[in-house]
Amino acid sequence: MNVEATSELQARHLTRHFSVRTPGRVLNARRVLRAVDDVSLDLRGGEVVAVVGESGSGKSVLARMLARIVRPTSGELALQGNTIPLKAKRTLDYASQVQLVLQDPFASMNPVHQIRHNLVRPLLIHGADKAHVQAQAAHALERVSLSPPEKFLDRYPHELSGGQLQRVSIARALCVRPKVLLADEPISMLDVSVRLGVLNLLRALCDGDRLAVMYITHDIASARYIANEIIVMYAGQVVEHSRGTDLVDAPTHPYTQLLIASVPDPSDPTSIAPETGARTQTLIAESGCRFSPRCPHVMDICRDTEPPQFLVGESHTSRCWLYRDQPEHAVEVALPVRRGGEEIAETRH
Amino acid sequence: MSTDALATNRNASPPSGVSATSDAASTPQVMGTRILDVKDFSVEYGWGEGAVRAVDHVDLHLERSKVLGIAGESGSGKSTLVYGFTRLLRAPGVITGGEAYFNLGDSQGTEEVLDLIGANERELRQVRWSHISVVLQSALNALNPVVRVGSQFEQVLKTHRGGLSRKERRARAEHLLSLVGLDPDRLARYPHELSGGQRQRIMIALALAVDPQLVIMDEPTTALDVVTQREIISELYELRARFGFAMIFITHDLSLLVELADEIVVMYAGRLVERATALELYEAPRHPYTLGLLNSFPPMHGERTELTGIPGSPPDLSDLPSGCSFHPRCPYAMERCSRETPPLVNTGETDRSVACWLHSGDDGVQVPIELSRRGPSGSTPAETP
Repeated sequence: MNVEATSELQARHLTRHFSVRTPGRVLNARRVLRAVDDVSLDLRGGEVVAVVGESGSGKSVLARMLARIVRPTSGELALQGNTIPLKAKRTLDYASQVQLVLQDPFASMNPVHQIRHNLVRPLLIHGADKAHVQAQAAHALERVSLSPPEKFLDRYPHELSGGQLQRVSIARALCVRPKVLLADEPISMLDVSVRLGVLNLLRALCDGDRLAVMYITHDIASARYIANEIIVMYAGQVVEHSRGTDLVDAPTHPYTQLLIASVPDPSDPTSIAPETGARTQTLIAESGCRFSPRCPHVMDICRDTEPPQFLVGESHTSRCWLYRDQPEHAVEVALPVRRGGEEIAETRH
Repeated sequence: MSTDALATNRNASPPSGVSATSDAASTPQVMGTRILDVKDFSVEYGWGEGAVRAVDHVDLHLERSKVLGIAGESGSGKSTLVYGFTRLLRAPGVITGGEAYFNLGDSQGTEEVLDLIGANERELRQVRWSHISVVLQSALNALNPVVRVGSQFEQVLKTHRGGLSRKERRARAEHLLSLVGLDPDRLARYPHELSGGQRQRIMIALALAVDPQLVIMDEPTTALDVVTQREIISELYELRARFGFAMIFITHDLSLLVELADEIVVMYAGRLVERATALELYEAPRHPYTLGLLNSFPPMHGERTELTGIPGSPPDLSDLPSGCSFHPRCPYAMERCSRETPPLVNTGETDRSVACWLHSGDDGVQVPIELSRRGPSGSTPAETP
């Protein structure tokens, strides 16, 4: 692993709560939905961090907080070591550094304009020189292997295939020269045969341009394929985290184990009916470990007390009481708080 | 196997591109253990000049109590094919050729063949649901959003099991829900109050409501996360073992099909490009597209190596490449591939066919090693080079 990689974007204890109406209760009874709860991560240049989780696990909300489209309830963000004042509005500069690529390329492109317009507009918004924007747009298409660019610039979004259009939306994100690319399920809407092409492109951008990439997915096999670091989320929390592929090769958290056992594996004919525990109605516990209602190893402590993250290996943590003999993992205090260039030493738990 | 035997085999199964069943309409159908027989089936969207051929001369058959998987990408015609022979196709879809027969007889071997294409609305209504039921891809859109789940069961049972009393219908609905692992209190809910997995389970329970012999699943788990998918798949597996219905499973996820299906057909641009038993297909693919699809799923074990997938994009049906539609993306494409469309022919192995010139058996065509692997049954497609 690359040790020299520098953190482009750091998040500490990022939390987002939503207030939701409870169906079937008294009118206007509301409760708090903890969509993302205390998530810390580092996105480093030249590395892919994969965030794996099922729908509703909070992975998209996390990406939107990092892009500062959703304002965190609490937590901190630092871009290249500079702490971001979260109460303030997102600046244009932040937007140009951190770009988001969405799941459905057909929905994220303006359908009534040609690709040229879709690429040039962000350039103009970000203050590019009018004389050069056409060349920059063409160059952006070449970076995502859509060549010759002239063939694509004057087409409309509906004239391209899903895979091509997803490349265009990556090109659009890249043309403002960001340091961080947040890709929210970039391949799940694409045809199976073109998915690998897009994954390989993300990996190549990461390696070639030292881009920091966050790759959000529900497909743990694709996470294993491209990631330097994997995070598994369940109900808004990070339940397991590892550098490299340890998490997939030797999963420790019962949820990760369930997730991996559920992946279709043609090479293993016995995998048709793995133990998925009780038939679940997707229960999330309000207290204790959130996975406890579905967990095959549930203990008394799990129902009462929320587990911290235990260090189960070198740079491999698991939020599960099964590993309470292991040392607790403390999130590095490494947020080098620098506001306007001035260093402030601060300690956090 | 000798070259002669190969040649005979090839001749025995006519190319799918040629109408081989022109005289079948006049002779009575004998289906034997088959529950479904689709021959030379074609569907087009639109009419006349601008028509787009979505299903191109497809032959398909299914044995009683077996699972047939149809794999293909979006636009490959897999759903259109199924909606075509079940007569669910809506305009501008038009069936432009072919035949489809369904065996209404029971498992004791009685035969009562229904010509699905020639059937009128009344005959179709009798077959639908009680013999053939369909689970649609989007459970949210397939359930009526303004009617409680219980009433949707009620409607089906009232229509197809008129003899049941209100109480019996209620009991039947509760029993069906318990089969798919849902609480009977879900009957009082509206679809929007349920999760995606629960809605999909209700769709499955509804499909099984009146004991069909054939259940068609159109991407039933695509919108679900992998854990829920796994639960639903193992439930389906149990239910099938218990009730013995045949199943057609449509999906783009080939690795899922390999686990689930007895036989798999792979579709590309409206044509069948390969047919084989699940294990044979996985262990020893014969068509370059199948091989590419199998290589498009990153593995969960072993070293991480760079995979390439399939270059290019799926073709536009209104502007198909000449010859074999796959040739612009095929790493093994030959000169002939851009000129002539390969027919689906037997490879000389039992129950396997492929539509690829590499397996034509012609002199001078070397089959690449990765497409001539020995299958589980021990056969290879051609003489060992």
